[in-house]
Amino acid sequence: MGCSLATSLVSAVKKIRRALNPDFLFIEPSELVVTEEMRTATRMALRDVNYTSGPFVTLVDGPGFQDLWQDRQPLLLGQLSGADLVAVSKSDLISAVRMEAIMDTLKGYCRGILRLSVHSGSGLGELVKAMEGSS
Amino acid sequence: MKIVTVSGVRGSGKTTLIRELIVRFREQGRRSTVILNEAGEETYAQEFLEAHGVELFPLWGG
Repeated sequence: MGCSLATSLVSAVKKIRRALNPDFLFIEPSELVVTEEMRTATRMALRDVNYTSGPFVTLVDGPGFQDLWQDRQPLLLGQLSGADLVAVSKSDLISAVRMEAIMDTLKGYCRGILRLSVHSGSGLGELVKAMEGSS
Repeated sequence: MKIVTVSGVRGSGKTTLIRELIVRFREQGRRSTVILNEAGEETYAQEFLEAHGVELFPLWGG
């Protein structure tokens, strides 16, 4: 995330806080942004805007994990590093054995990891709890 | 206002997850806003945004 984009983000956060003040502000960054860059940008916003910091969540595509790990590992590690919670998504589309292998590979790089399927609802309760509890 | 960041590569399900969370929180009477830093494969349809009272702020570049 470049400096100008971070500045734009801070400006948007400020505008949203003043005009709307929602309960939750979700930020969906570009796929090339890593977690530490997001932490830096939101810390910048905190200098000028009063908000509560929720969790930094990283999603890892379950069905595409093998290719992702092989071809884009530096990016994935950058997104895992510093994340409060890592969720392996689309868990309903992969076998239990494959999921275990993914969890084993990732667990050394994550603080917290869970299996997620928006389709089946698996893991959503834990995510919601993390968002409600984090501050 | 609580900020929640959802990172991941394209196709990892960021938009799908955020949409689901918006619906769940909305059912509890809580309002959400989204800052989107890329046009994902899945998008936030205008009908969805209007139905759930969600404002979307796009940020271009990266």
